[in-house]
Amino acid sequence: MRASINRPPTPDADEEPEREPALVEVINVKMVESGEKEKLKELLRERLIECGWRDEMKALCRAYARKKGRNNVTIDELVQVITPKGRASIPDSVKTELLQRIQSFLTSIVL
Amino acid sequence: MQLSIRCFHELLDSIIADVASECHRVARLGLDRGLDEEEEELRLSEEARASAADPSSSGEVGCKYVVDIFGQTHPAVADEIFECMNCGRPIMAGRFAPHLEKCMGKGRKARQRTTRSSAITRSRNSRGSPVSVYAPYSNSTNSARVPNGTTGGAGEEFSDCAFEAP
Repeated sequence: MRASINRPPTPDADEEPEREPALVEVINVKMVESGEKEKLKELLRERLIECGWRDEMKALCRAYARKKGRNNVTIDELVQVITPKGRASIPDSVKTELLQRIQSFLTSIVL
Repeated sequence: MQLSIRCFHELLDSIIADVASECHRVARLGLDRGLDEEEEELRLSEEARASAADPSSSGEVGCKYVVDIFGQTHPAVADEIFECMNCGRPIMAGRFAPHLEKCMGKGRKARQRTTRSSAITRSRNSRGSPVSVYAPYSNSTNSARVPNGTTGGAGEEFSDCAFEAP
């Protein structure tokens, strides 16, 4: 019984499988701390606006809202509406540029 | 490499969420040129304009008018209906003049009846070709030469001669 009283708090970390997520977390933290994450996000946003991707997504949202009635849409619904098309319609050049920058950032923090 | 892709997707999801959030805001606030009410109004007014120009809804009147929000037509259509004093039929005001043209000439085809004055005018114009006063003209070109005052004008000139011959 004493054991149960003195039982330490459930260690969540132990139950998690040891895979990439931990590493991603580290990277994430590093990116945020160095401000790189914000810069990358801004870069991506800018590129997507330039190539019209953002307008496409907005058009999709508008069409969906018109169909459903504009007061009946939730943000989650809109996210679900845009995500598949959004992920698929990223121009290759944009993707490449961002991936390159992420790569170089990763190598920079490793070194 | 996988790591980079995951980071990229995370950035992308974040941006997608931003876009969705903004569109949601626009939708709920009705900022996007009025997603439903105004759009309905626009569509309705277009339909109204289309049906105003639609020949099937204008009856006899030539379909070149527009209807405004008060139901008035532009240019105005004289659509008051009254009785023709000649034939007794209910006629629309805007169609009265052409109606009279035909109505006054009843018994024959329109515009073939000549009156004394129109015949005299015609003979004056045609310089000497003899015209008997009540002779009917079989071709329409002659009636085209008749000046305005005789056939299209007020019924006064016709009133004493119109019923003289069948």
